[in-house]
Amino acid sequence: MILLQLLINGLVTGCALGVVAISFALVYSTTKIFHVAHAGVYTLAGYIAWLLVSHAVPEVVALAAAVLVCAGAGAVIQHQLYARLERRGAPHLVVLIASLGLLAVMQNIIAAVFSPNILQFPVLWANRTLALDGVALTYAQLLTVLICLAAYGGVMWFAHYTTLGKRIRAVASNPFLAQITRLQPNTVYVYVVAIASAIVALPGVLVPLDLGLQPYGGITPLLTATIAMIAGGVGSISGAFVLSIAIAELQNLSLLAIPGEWSIGITFFIFVIFMLFRPTGLFSAAR
Amino acid sequence: MDFLLSYLSLAAIYVMLGLSTNLLVGIVGIFSVSQAAVFGVGAYIVGHFLMAAEPMSFLAALAIGMLCCITLNILVTLPSLRVSGDYFVVTSFGIQLLATAVFTNWTAGTGGASGMPGIPPPDVFGYQLQSSWQLMALCMAGMALACLCFWLVMRAPFGRLLRAIREDERAVAAAGKSVLRAKVSAAALAGAFAGLAGGLYATFLSFIDPSSFDLDASILLLTMVVVGGARTLAGSIVGPFLLLALPQILTLLDIPTIFAATARQLIYGTLLIAFMLFRPQGLLGERL
Repeated sequence: MILLQLLINGLVTGCALGVVAISFALVYSTTKIFHVAHAGVYTLAGYIAWLLVSHAVPEVVALAAAVLVCAGAGAVIQHQLYARLERRGAPHLVVLIASLGLLAVMQNIIAAVFSPNILQFPVLWANRTLALDGVALTYAQLLTVLICLAAYGGVMWFAHYTTLGKRIRAVASNPFLAQITRLQPNTVYVYVVAIASAIVALPGVLVPLDLGLQPYGGITPLLTATIAMIAGGVGSISGAFVLSIAIAELQNLSLLAIPGEWSIGITFFIFVIFMLFRPTGLFSAAR
Repeated sequence: MDFLLSYLSLAAIYVMLGLSTNLLVGIVGIFSVSQAAVFGVGAYIVGHFLMAAEPMSFLAALAIGMLCCITLNILVTLPSLRVSGDYFVVTSFGIQLLATAVFTNWTAGTGGASGMPGIPPPDVFGYQLQSSWQLMALCMAGMALACLCFWLVMRAPFGRLLRAIREDERAVAAAGKSVLRAKVSAAALAGAFAGLAGGLYATFLSFIDPSSFDLDASILLLTMVVVGGARTLAGSIVGPFLLLALPQILTLLDIPTIFAATARQLIYGTLLIAFMLFRPQGLLGERL
């Protein structure tokens, strides 16, 4: 029974991680920026929702507000920071350092405004459990799985069947060609980071609903998600999502043998294995 | 007076770390946020050998610590040499988080979150260094050694090779130079600097805990290099001296102690963004 419980926990964490991974992959495959500050946006979402919920705003409204605020934050980050650096012809390393700086700024502003300690959502229904056959699942976890699967489906649909989605994929595959055919890559980049930030707000709110908020808690999920993205093959949305679930399941199953504080070691071990044997990832597109 | 001496000693230690970070980030162009982890490994190993049942002499322990750091830094660099530079970011973050997990959770070896207290002061060739003057002289000697090493390497053809790798890796390979060997050697040298700094730090403070070697510490090192100026010796010296004075200035402002760390990190982050946007070469460096 404990095995089934671990598998279910893995699925919950995996779905949430999967959404972080596809949102990061969206930014990375399009803008080629290793957007470390994405972890800051993820954290921001939870705190926005917490602020609103603790002022007696309905949960659904709080979630929507968090998504909107994060989308705005993403657009500002791309437009005010990355685009500026790009115009100055900044090399990759400079953009990376700026992104890391932004992450530090976001985390510490959050820690200064709210608190450096763990905050719990004042939502009672979230921790009520559904007990099925000895396996417990909280409402928050159920909601996480449902919304994250929906988000995955939504992103797949968006990327393949909408004009903007096709435009984004066109820019991702060849920015130069997109430029001369007036697809305006620079505008697309702003949209992409905004959309990715909106998507990452979903797990950003749902995961803390179950586990609580922590200002410095965004880095580990982001790192795990980037490992899933690389292992799944950069450019493959489904690969990133599937590998996120696989990694989360492995982490949870490893709890049977290894204490939980070493789970970062498990994740990293998976990464090293991939680097040694299949550095292009499992589902990488031919290029 | 003691305060000034301890500031100078700490700054000297951070100059070595700055050189280590500068070599990787500035010269070779490898983004690294795991130098604090390597630094920590050096500190814990030296601490461990000095406090063993049969304590070793300081220089022997330091040599072992440096060897371990060299090996570690090479291992950290190796898996990512096969693939593009962005993957190194993941390796780097991973190593840093993993190291923090080890420092915090491996209670038997590191003392866990409560740290490792009571590390004895260093001895050099049987002579015990006790006073803060002597400790400062030792740290300064370490710094001078590291600076000399860095300067000599940068003057040598090897230094030019490293710079060339940052500019264009393929051209270097096409010119018949081994990129792999050069990167591994640079990683080894950076590891040696970090190990030296770690050993001096452990004996200087006589107490170490995981908070000195976490991701925030790595970000501080990066900020030092960026503010001082990447790719030059002067930059790596100015950065640590300036940024270590910052916490003292903050104590003059009336910030509650629980927010002191937050305020520091906030300033480091802001400095990183501002310098990248407006002055990527730092105060005394060359363009990144």
